[in-house]
Amino acid sequence: MEINELKTDQCVIVGITGRLDTTNYSMLEKKLMDLIDNQHDKILVECSGMDYISSSGLRILLMGLKKVTALKGKFVLCGLQENIHEIFEISGFTSIFEIHPSREEALKIF
Amino acid sequence: MVRYIHYTDPNSEEMLQELDQIPRCPGICFFMDINRSTDIKYQGGLKDWGRKLNNTFNTLLYVNHFQQHVVKGIGDEVMLFIPDEDLQKKSSNNTCFALLEDIYAALFLIKNHPDQNLYLNCKVAIHYCTEVHNITFFENANDYYGSDVDLTARLMTKSVENRIVLSEKFYVKVINDLINMGLPLDTGCLARVSERYMENFRGVPMSTAFRVIEVM
Repeated sequence: MEINELKTDQCVIVGITGRLDTTNYSMLEKKLMDLIDNQHDKILVECSGMDYISSSGLRILLMGLKKVTALKGKFVLCGLQENIHEIFEISGFTSIFEIHPSREEALKIF
Repeated sequence: MVRYIHYTDPNSEEMLQELDQIPRCPGICFFMDINRSTDIKYQGGLKDWGRKLNNTFNTLLYVNHFQQHVVKGIGDEVMLFIPDEDLQKKSSNNTCFALLEDIYAALFLIKNHPDQNLYLNCKVAIHYCTEVHNITFFENANDYYGSDVDLTARLMTKSVENRIVLSEKFYVKVINDLINMGLPLDTGCLARVSERYMENFRGVPMSTAFRVIEVM
């Protein structure tokens, strides 16, 4: 898995590429917690390059959402592939996360 | 491959010969149980508890592709078994550590989901089995029998809501995975693992060592 970060005027975009599972979720955890600890409370997670997620990955996203929500910020996802969207649906995530089809559309809400 | 055992003669020599040749099938056995699954059936109708069971089983089993390893469900408890040879073939969740982490995460997701009206909390027991055989006494069924499967069920008596009980045998496998991956021994949910406890379970002639992890 690869993680990249792009700071924009509106938010920080965290891009995930590849598989997010038990072997690497701690990389994403560290990235998100570092951002939140540094007062970044507007985070967009770009998932278009992510092709697998296990419950360990979902756990980190839920932790990120909870922390950012506590700061009254925004934690938004975009670009979920079909199989990933299905996992989000099954685990009840589509009702708790703000999810947009593309980065462009997601950026409009910040 | 499961072996169907069925002989009409109780004294069949052929049966004894077949049983004598059935190999062990080492692997990981899990029991997962949904808490409050009995009392919610008295409190609401099928629409309420059926939905909660559906949602909870989906998060427990489908998110991590565990459904293919379900051996049986009894009421609101499921037994899963992953033979070593199947574990090695998996592209993900192919170590004991990965399995433990994803089970922990699934329980975490259920416990921390913002809409608590949709899910039920769970308890889990996990054991690494060596005394186990892939046999069935019922036609067209796949099952696993052996003293280690029974021990996994006994370990379940030590679990409560949002707790994972792991036998020392399984814990050692997890630790070996971490060593092989060059990771610290307190990686992930192992930072929350308890000290070692001992218990004399009914029907088991020796003490059993186990640990617990409480889900945050």
